[in-house]
Amino acid sequence: MAIAEQPVEMAQRPAEMKSAKPGIDWRGRLLDRAPFLVACLMLALIVAIYGSLQSGVFSLDELNLDTAAALTLMLAATGQTIVLVRGGIDLSIGGMISLGTVIAATRFTDDPSTTALWALAVLALGFLIGALNGLLISLLKLQPFLVTLATWSILNGVAMIILPTDGGSVPAWWVGFGYAQLFGLTSPVWMLLALLLFWWWFRATRVGITIQATGSNEKSAFLSGVSIARVNLITYGLSGLFAAGAALFLTTQTGAGSPTIGKDYILPSVAAAVIGGVSLFGGRGHLAGTLIGAFVLTLIGNLVFVLHVSSYWQPVASGVILLLSVLASSVAEKAARGRVQ
Amino acid sequence: MDLVTVKGLSKRYGGIVALSEATFSARAGEVHALLGENGAGKSTFIQILSGAVRHDGGSILVDGQDYRPANPDAAQARGIAAVFQELSLIPDLSVEQNIWFRHEPRTLLRTVNRAEMRRKTLALLDKYNFPALRPDQELRRLTLAERQIVEIAKGLAKDPRILILDEATSSLPAREAEWLLKLTRQLAAEGRLVIFISHRMAEVRAIADRLTIFRNGSTIAVHEANAVSDNEIVTQMIGRHLDRLYPERIATATDRIALRVKGLSSDSRLSGVDFALREGEVLGVGGLQGHGQRELFQALFGASKASGTIELWGKPVSIANPRQALTGEDGIALVPEDRRGQGLLLTKSVRENLTLSVIKRFTENGLLSRQKEAALVKEMVDFLRIKAGTPEQLAGTLSGGNQQKVIFGKMLLTQARVLLLYDPTRGVDVGTKGEIFQLMRDLAARGYAILFHSSDMPELVHVADRVLVMRNGHVAATLEGDRISEAGILRAAMLENEAA
Repeated sequence: MAIAEQPVEMAQRPAEMKSAKPGIDWRGRLLDRAPFLVACLMLALIVAIYGSLQSGVFSLDELNLDTAAALTLMLAATGQTIVLVRGGIDLSIGGMISLGTVIAATRFTDDPSTTALWALAVLALGFLIGALNGLLISLLKLQPFLVTLATWSILNGVAMIILPTDGGSVPAWWVGFGYAQLFGLTSPVWMLLALLLFWWWFRATRVGITIQATGSNEKSAFLSGVSIARVNLITYGLSGLFAAGAALFLTTQTGAGSPTIGKDYILPSVAAAVIGGVSLFGGRGHLAGTLIGAFVLTLIGNLVFVLHVSSYWQPVASGVILLLSVLASSVAEKAARGRVQ
Repeated sequence: MDLVTVKGLSKRYGGIVALSEATFSARAGEVHALLGENGAGKSTFIQILSGAVRHDGGSILVDGQDYRPANPDAAQARGIAAVFQELSLIPDLSVEQNIWFRHEPRTLLRTVNRAEMRRKTLALLDKYNFPALRPDQELRRLTLAERQIVEIAKGLAKDPRILILDEATSSLPAREAEWLLKLTRQLAAEGRLVIFISHRMAEVRAIADRLTIFRNGSTIAVHEANAVSDNEIVTQMIGRHLDRLYPERIATATDRIALRVKGLSSDSRLSGVDFALREGEVLGVGGLQGHGQRELFQALFGASKASGTIELWGKPVSIANPRQALTGEDGIALVPEDRRGQGLLLTKSVRENLTLSVIKRFTENGLLSRQKEAALVKEMVDFLRIKAGTPEQLAGTLSGGNQQKVIFGKMLLTQARVLLLYDPTRGVDVGTKGEIFQLMRDLAARGYAILFHSSDMPELVHVADRVLVMRNGHVAATLEGDRISEAGILRAAMLENEAA
């Protein structure tokens, strides 16, 4: 070949390009985190008001109680966050939570091994149903909203068939799990920390990055070799798994099953994520924000209680906070875009 | 021995044949240029090679072994990486995360080893003398040129034996483009095969060892680069002689002034633009980039604010927004710079794109007349020779040239007779360019008045009746007749004391 005989000129480094200016882009970083910071600010404000009206707010007991109250939503919202970062939405968690509680309330016995087996079965079912959601979305090329709306309805129906009204029961020792203590902290607080640890690990794995990337730009992810079907399967599978976990935890709080309770977690799980700065368009968001968001939504309830106003003010306040959060992220988004053009 | 041998490669999309019996062969250690008009099948060919699309028929051998990648991963496993023109990057990941996406070095916990990833990134960028990039910068903060460079790094990160560069220089500034050309030679010298796609003949000339020419989905010719002339190449690309590229310039201008602009100024770059555009005239707007050409077009179309007077057909008008600019036979219509972003709805059909903004024209008593619409659409498709299966074909599936024709059709249907064409041939293949120039002359002959900017100077020289040369936001010179030449335009654009 004649090529090798030509002297090859090494490519010279061209001059520095526009975005490569050294130094840390503080303003950009701040703008990126604006929605999360706003959520933190809101939480601090709510805690401050709550603390000024009620004594003993800044105590371990209060932390244990509030975390227990928020953890079902937090578990559900963890799955929802993964789905939102993927750029989807999962409404079926409502059905899965209901189904999980009625299975627990009708099948759990005093025999620990039977109960453990059923608990594992609920978790497995959660993952499988979620994976099925993912499969349907990929195969039928349908909107996640529609597919999970359908599975929500189906799961709800199945829950009704198993247990038509609220009732059943779980063993007392199972309920005890929800109140077990270690170093002064109850199990919900430890689970909250475990969730954060999980997220810290998960988002740095290839699977986590791939889910985020697919939510950020599906076409690019595909061109980079990502199997979109596999991503959907794992994403919605995890969401189902966390919904099942939420159901199991919920039974430690209520001691019974309910075929309708799950719907109370569908939109709040999305709201918690959005308040915490997770983008509904995929690609952006962290669990820490979602958990803050879940705390905000839960503590609003406490605040309404200590203010001695009608409990109907709780959804009103939640809505206002949601609007403020969305406003904060859109302002930050615009500011960030204005800088990049 | 050849590294890649392709025989009888075929691919159809529905009724449209993208590739038919294409052949290709290339050796390790060469830069092999792939040439062809838009729609010749180059994109499909590299999509098949890179595993993004599967072929229907024919065979590909890599190293003498059958090659039929099921997905981009399988292609990479065989040492083939592509730098895509539309880019395969993730906006919410950092530069280094993008470069190593799905191939990140990992820790014992299966998480990404950030320190190792940073080290590998810097080593890669250093090895090939990449332009300075910040590895931790989020991709969406980067300019298009910088993203293109990240895409190149991503391709090289796989240490491929075959690297496909699809119009990688088109979005790069001159210095970075030059860097890439040298890099390409360097990669070939390392024993890799680089398949290089570009519409710029000079680049192909500068680096290619051999070139393969595609036309209508088939391979037309393979040449040693130094044994073929530009003219032969272009002739084979378009299947006819180039002398028809520029139509005959017959003066059709009348004395009637279609558009008169006096003292047009704006905050951004315009300072006292004066000119008159006559009925039946093609008036070129040239000059060095960034001297107000873009701002002039935007101001005339009402997309940006400017002071001064604008008269259309003798009547002073004020154009505050694009909607006002559009209306009626006395109006102005624009072919925008970014046709994908501004001009065309890619997910809508050709028919819808043509008629959306002129829906009034075939509404009777408040009801849409489908017959009237169909007649108008057919007239336009025929007049412009838009190559679409049916008017219902999605605009996004047309070739670049045909997309541009749809925009022309949309503009003509507004019935405006003052047309603003801003770089109408950008990214359009040579054959369609010729058709567009002919169309401009035809429209001028029918009494349309055309203001025409092109970033390609020979186009101004060969198509326009007169050329306005802009400098520092005003018209520095108006060239006519024999004075229209590339040298003349450059002289007026660069020299302060050249008389207007």
